[in-house]
Amino acid sequence: MSNIGTNAQSPPAPAVRRRPLLGGDGTGPVLKRAAVTGGLVAVAIAVALLKSGSGLVVWQSVVTGLLMGGLYGLIAMGLTLIFGVLDIVNFAHGALLAIAMFIAFGVVRGTGVHPYLALLVAVPALFLVGAVVHRGLLSGAGGGSLENQLLITLGLSLLLENGLLMFFGAEPKTVALPGDFQLSLFGAVVSGARLYAFIGALLVGAVLFWLLRRTRFGTAIRAVAANGQGAELVGVNVRRVHTLTFGIGTACAGAAAVLAAPLVTVTPTLGEQFNITAFVVVVLGGMGNVAGALVGGLLIGLVEQLTTIYMDGQSSLLGVFAVFVIVLFLRPQGLFGRRA
Amino acid sequence: MTGITLTGRPGAAGRPVKAPPLRPQNRQLAVLAVLLAVAIPLPLVLPPAQGAVAVRILIFVLMAIGWNVMSGFGGMFSFGHAAFFGLGAYTSAYLLVEHDVSPWIGMLAGMAVAAAVAVVIGYFAFRYKLQGAYFALATFAFAEMLRLIVTTTDFTNKAVGFTVPLIQGSSFWKIQFAADSPAYFWIALGLAGLAAAASILFLHSRTGRYVTAIRDDELAAASLGTPVLRYKLVTVALSAAITAVAGAFYTQYYLFVNPDLAFGASVSIQAIATVVIGGIGTIWGPVVGAIILGALSDVTATLLRTPPDFLNFLQGRSGLDVALYAVLLILIVRLLPKGIVGTIAERWRR
Amino acid sequence: MSARKLAAGLGACAVLLAAAGCGGSAPSGAAGVAAGRDRGPVKIGALHPVSGANAVDGQQMRRGARMAVEAINAAGGIRSLGGRKVELATGDTQGKAEVGQSEAQRLISAGAVGLVGTYQSAVSTNVAVVAERNRVPFVMDVTASDAIFAHGYRYAFRVQPGSAAIAGAAARYLKEVSEQAGKPVRKVAFLHEQTDFGSGAAEAFTRAAEKLGIEVGPNISYDALTVSDLTAQVTQVKASGADVLAVAGYYRDSLLAAKAIAAVKPALNAVWGVSNGAYDQPKFVADAGPVAERIFSTNYHFDAKDPQTARLRADYQRRYGAPMRTGAVLAYDAVQVIAQAVERAGGTDAEKVRDAIAASKVEPLTVGTGPISFAPNGDNETALPVLMQVQGGEVRQVYPPDKAESKPNYSVTWRS
Repeated sequence: MSNIGTNAQSPPAPAVRRRPLLGGDGTGPVLKRAAVTGGLVAVAIAVALLKSGSGLVVWQSVVTGLLMGGLYGLIAMGLTLIFGVLDIVNFAHGALLAIAMFIAFGVVRGTGVHPYLALLVAVPALFLVGAVVHRGLLSGAGGGSLENQLLITLGLSLLLENGLLMFFGAEPKTVALPGDFQLSLFGAVVSGARLYAFIGALLVGAVLFWLLRRTRFGTAIRAVAANGQGAELVGVNVRRVHTLTFGIGTACAGAAAVLAAPLVTVTPTLGEQFNITAFVVVVLGGMGNVAGALVGGLLIGLVEQLTTIYMDGQSSLLGVFAVFVIVLFLRPQGLFGRRA
Repeated sequence: MTGITLTGRPGAAGRPVKAPPLRPQNRQLAVLAVLLAVAIPLPLVLPPAQGAVAVRILIFVLMAIGWNVMSGFGGMFSFGHAAFFGLGAYTSAYLLVEHDVSPWIGMLAGMAVAAAVAVVIGYFAFRYKLQGAYFALATFAFAEMLRLIVTTTDFTNKAVGFTVPLIQGSSFWKIQFAADSPAYFWIALGLAGLAAAASILFLHSRTGRYVTAIRDDELAAASLGTPVLRYKLVTVALSAAITAVAGAFYTQYYLFVNPDLAFGASVSIQAIATVVIGGIGTIWGPVVGAIILGALSDVTATLLRTPPDFLNFLQGRSGLDVALYAVLLILIVRLLPKGIVGTIAERWRR
Repeated sequence: MSARKLAAGLGACAVLLAAAGCGGSAPSGAAGVAAGRDRGPVKIGALHPVSGANAVDGQQMRRGARMAVEAINAAGGIRSLGGRKVELATGDTQGKAEVGQSEAQRLISAGAVGLVGTYQSAVSTNVAVVAERNRVPFVMDVTASDAIFAHGYRYAFRVQPGSAAIAGAAARYLKEVSEQAGKPVRKVAFLHEQTDFGSGAAEAFTRAAEKLGIEVGPNISYDALTVSDLTAQVTQVKASGADVLAVAGYYRDSLLAAKAIAAVKPALNAVWGVSNGAYDQPKFVADAGPVAERIFSTNYHFDAKDPQTARLRADYQRRYGAPMRTGAVLAYDAVQVIAQAVERAGGTDAEKVRDAIAASKVEPLTVGTGPISFAPNGDNETALPVLMQVQGGEVRQVYPPDKAESKPNYSVTWRS
C-alpha cells in the first residue's frame, strides 16, 4: 500500500460513488448546512422553552442530550466507518457493544481494577472479534449482496445476544465507577461518568480522524472507500484493509461500551436500544461520514431529550424516528454527505 | 418448481419478459392442492400439544408468504412487516372488542388498512427512491413508529392491548372454538392455502411478471415504459394484506394482542428469517422455512424441559432456540444463499 | 419432477416434526384428562418465566411453588383423599404470552386441577383465557394488572394486591406517615414508565391522593425500554416545587431514577416507590449503594414478622443459597390455596375445586389483614400492601405499625 495518495484523491471512474469519509466535501456548502442545522436546533430549543416554561429544565435537557449524544456519536462512528468502506449495514454492532460491556463487567468483577482500565482489554478484544467476524462470515462469496450481509449480521446479533443470555442470564448487572462525582454547570447537573464518556467520545473521534487523515493506512482506507478496484490496481490489499477497517469499527464499539458501562445496567439485549439510535445517527450524519456521525450523535441526543418535552408521555424514540424518516426522504445522503 | 429466484436469469434484462407457459402455474396449484389434502387430517392424528405447534407454523406460513411477495418476488427488502401484521391484528381486535364485528369482517378490514398504509409508505419510499439498506431501515422505522404510537394511544388501549371476549360454545362466525379444536387448524390451513394460491397466481400474472422483471433490472423495465411505481405499489399492497391476515388470525387464536406482540421487531425478523431459510423468491420456501422454524422452538423447549444429561447445564437457561435459528440463518445465507428450496430447485434443474 | 422431490422433503420434515414432538411433550389427549385427574398424585400446574429476561424471578417462584408442594406432602398429602400426594407440573412461559398459552394448555391436558402463575400481566391475561375456556381454576401469584378482573372470569383468582390497591395504599400511607412526621405532604410529582404498569399505578394513585386532598403533578412518563438518563425529568420535578416524588417503574429505569434524584437533589421530603420494581429489593440496595438509603416503597411483601415465613425463607436460603423473594412466597401461598381447596372439595372435580377456592380461608405468608379470601371477581380481599424503606442498607417494613419492623424515617439523605 504505497504511493496511493494521488490516486485516491483524483475522482474515480464515473460509475463509482465517492464517499467523503471525513466529511471532506468542500467547506462552503458544509458551513451553510451547519448554519441551517444550528438554526433549526436553536428554534427547537426556543419552542421547548415556551412549552416547558422552565429554563432550568430545558437547559438540563440540552446538557443531558449533548452528553448522551457524544456517546451515540462514538457508537455510530464505528458503524459509519464500516458502512463507508465496506458497504456493510452491520446489524450486529449493538450486540458487539453488549459483548464489550460484558467484557468490561467481567474485568471489573474479576480483577477489581478501575472500569476504564477495561479499555485495554475490550478494545483489542473487539478489534479481534471484528476482524474474525469479517474474515469468517462477511468476506468472500456468500457474503456478497447487501441483503445477505444484512441477514448475516442480523443472525450474528441474534446469536451473540442469545449466547450472552445463555451464559450470563438476564439479571441486570452494574459496573460502578469509583470516585464518581457531580458537578453543576450553570445549574444543570453533570455526573462525572457522563462527562468522562463525552470527553472519551471526542478523543476517540479525534484519534479516528487522525488515523484516517494523517497515516498511510488511513489513506489506504480512504482509497478503498473511494474506489476499491482502483486501490487494488495500485497495490492496496483491499481484503486486508476491509478486515482491518471492520476491526477498527467494532473496536470503536468496544471503547464506547467501556465508557458507557457505568451509565447503564448491563443486560444481553442492551445493544438493541443503542443499535437503533446508531443507525439513525449514521443516516443523519451521512453513511460513511465519521465527522458527521459525531455531529449526528449530538443532534439525536438533543432530539431525544426535546421529544420528552414536546410530547408528554411519548417515547423519546418516536421523535428520533420522525427525524430519521424525514432525513431519509429529504436528504438520504445525510446532513453532511453530498448527493451520490 | 418456480424457476424464479432472487438473482434472476441471465439475459432476462433488456428483453421483454416472455410469458412462461401456463403449465408451471397449474402444476404449482396442483402441488398446493395435494399438500392441503395431506395436511387436512393432521390435527386428528397429532397430540394436542403438537396441534398448537401446527397452528403456529401456519401463522408463520402466512407471514412468510406475505413477506416473500414483496421482498422475494418484488425485491423490495422490508424490515418492517410487523407494521402490517400489527395493523391486521389491531384492526380486527378493535372492531371485535369495541363494536362486536365478526373477525372475518375484521380480517378484511385489517387487510384493507394494512394495504392502504403499505401503499402510502411505499409511495414515499419509491418517490424518494429509497433502495437497499435505506429502504429496509425506512420500513423498520415505520413499524417502530406504529408500535410507539399504539403503545401510547387511548384508542388502542395503550400498552394493555385487546383481549378477545370469550363466548359460550363455539362459533365459526366469531372464529372461536374449544381450545384444542381442530377447527383452528383447518381455518389457518384454509387461509394459508389461499395465500399460497394468491402468491402463485400473482407470480404468474401480468403484474407479477412485470414486478420480477423490475426487480431484476429496474432501469431496463422502466425504459421499456413499464409503469414501475404502479406495479410496485400493487405488490406492496398484496404483501401487506396477506401479512395482515396472519395478524388477524393470530389475535383470534391467541385471543390477546398487545403492541409488542403485534408490532415488535421480532415479528419482522420472524418473517424474514422464515423466508430466507426456506428460500427467498420461491413459492415453497416460506412453507419449508415455517415448518423448520416452527418446529425448532418446540423441539428446543421440549429438550430443555427434560434435558438429557449432556445438556443439563442448559436447564433454566434461555436463548437456545433463537441462538440455534440464528446459526441456521447464518449458515443458510453463507452456504445456501438461495435457501433450502432455492438450492434444491437449482440442483434439480442441473 | 422437482415437485415430487419437494413433496418428499416436506414429508421428511413432517416425520421429523412428529418424531421430535412425540419424544418430548406429554402425548395425552383430551379424553385422558378426566381420568388423569382421578389417579396418581393431584397435579398442580406452575407457569413461570424460568427462562428469558425474568428468569431469576421465575425460578424463584417455581421453587416457592415446589416448596409448598413438598410441605403439603410432608404433612400427609391431601387427607380427604386418603393422603393422595400432590405433584407440581411445571411450565416455562419464557416471558412470552403465546408460549404461556400453549404451556397452560399442555399442563391442563396433563391433568392439572389448577394453575398458578405467571409473574407478568400480559402472560397472565393469556393464561386466564385458557383457564376460563378449559374451566380450570387459575390462581395468580404475581400479576399486577387489574384489567384481567374486568372480564367477569369465573376461574381467575389472585393472591397479590392489585395495582390499584397498592397505589391506593401508597397514597393513604403517604398522608399518614407524613403527618406523623410533622411534614404533611402538599404536592406529589409522579414519575412513571409509560405502559399500563406505570401509568396504571399513576392514575390509581392520583385518584386516591386527590380524595385525600393531596395535589398530584406534574405527571412525567418515560419509555422504560430505551431511557438512558432521567436527569432532565427529575429536574422538571425540582422545578415544580413538589415535596414528594413518587416513582413507578421496572428495575433498570427505577435505578436510573434513583441515581438522577441523588444527582439533582430536588427539595423533597421523601422518595415514594409505588409498586416499584426496584426499591424493595436487596439487589437494588447493593447496586445503588448510598443512593438507595431512605427510599420508600409501597408494595406487596412477604410477612417479615411472621415466624412461619421466616422459617420458610431460612429454608429457601439454605437450599438455594439466595434470599427468597416475595414472588416466591406468593407462589407458595397460591399453591396452598389450590391444595387446600382440593382438600375441602374432597375431589379433583374442577367445578368443586373452583367453588372451594372461591370460599378459601387460607392463612398467607405474605402480608395480609387476615386469611386469603376472594371477592366475587376473584381478587384477594385481604391482601395488604405494606410500606418499606431502605434503612442502613436493608429493606425494612415500616408501616402500618402492626407490620412494622422499625419506624419510618420521613426524610431524604441530602436534606436533613
